Amino acid sequence: MTDRRLRAAIAVLALLGAAVASYLVYARYTGTRLACTTGGCETVQHSKYAKIADIPVALLGLISYLAVLATALSARIEAAAIGAAIVLSGLAFGIYLIVIQVAVIDAICQWCITSDVILALLAIACAERLRRAAGSPHGSSAPPPMAPPA
Amino acid sequence: MNDLFKNRKALYAGVAVAAICIAVALVLVSVLGSGGKKKASTTNLPGVAATAALFAGIPQRLNELGNPKASVTMVEFADLQCPFCHDYTIEVLPTIVQKYVRTGKVKLIFTGMHFVGADSEKGLRAVLAAGLQGKLWNALDLLYKSQGQENSGWVTDALLKSVGASIPGLDGAKMLADMSSAKVDNGLTSSDQEASKAGVNSTPTFFAGPTGGTLQHMDVTALTPAAFEPTLDSLLQ
Repeated sequence: MTDRRLRAAIAVLALLGAAVASYLVYARYTGTRLACTTGGCETVQHSKYAKIADIPVALLGLISYLAVLATALSARIEAAAIGAAIVLSGLAFGIYLIVIQVAVIDAICQWCITSDVILALLAIACAERLRRAAGSPHGSSAPPPMAPPA
Repeated sequence: MNDLFKNRKALYAGVAVAAICIAVALVLVSVLGSGGKKKASTTNLPGVAATAALFAGIPQRLNELGNPKASVTMVEFADLQCPFCHDYTIEVLPTIVQKYVRTGKVKLIFTGMHFVGADSEKGLRAVLAAGLQGKLWNALDLLYKSQGQENSGWVTDALLKSVGASIPGLDGAKMLADMSSAKVDNGLTSSDQEASKAGVNSTPTFFAGPTGGTLQHMDVTALTPAAFEPTLDSLLQ
């Protein structure tokens, strides 16, 4: 997979994540009932763990996905590093929230699990992007320029 | 800073440290903001552990308990001050939950009434507010376990605070704040309309039937599990 395609994949995944987070943010601020097959989405979304410092976790997720999308638009190594840091921290926090759902709230939110799966895929893609960028002698994940013909 | 991006190991370490710092900060703020584990020990209500265990892992959606796709629905009309409703909750509900709800066969719907007096409405507002957080059945169970004399003012703010602090995953302060919210007002009105529509004028009153179909009044002769099981078993056949 070329670097351009890898960044495109990251952008698509970030857009999917942003769509899920947008739905949760919309439901929270409009009072709309969530479509839910697990039966626990409302319980999780209205629990005290659904907010951090009074900011809905879904809103933080949306901002993070948009930030990752922005990093995918740049070929710079700094963008790869920032994207990887955001995604890895999001994945770690997502795992913490899964533990909270199972062990404390006693309810599972399918939208959170969907977001976690997207984060896991993003983590793989961002880690690969960072690995390639770090291996580039130009400090960029862009392919080296072609040598002029002799 | 530029050196960081030229050294592969330093770059990986930098990203890892940044990710760990952000994640730890988020978890810390989440744990501290939720009150940590201290709330579970701030109450001495009866039956807290049993209530938590009874409903653990069962989906709750506003006033509904159990698998949304359960083939049978059972509706309970009850007043928080009604002593027979208390008896049903203590003597019958645990068996129904374990045998029919936890197995996904039956879902329960609670429709609150508040005709006995002021404590009825205050208690009902609290359980409806807990329902906004998906914990109505936990709050209901705990309030019945602490039921006092009719209209003695037993539904105190202190009791409701203890109930809020005793339910895992519930934001007790939010529950108290939501008691006077428009959503709870609407829930109360909706309950009144359901009771009026069903012609219910005493509690507890039960209806059961196929989910999505017509529910029939349950002619319950005693508040024991054996009085409920034949109806539910025949509906499940």
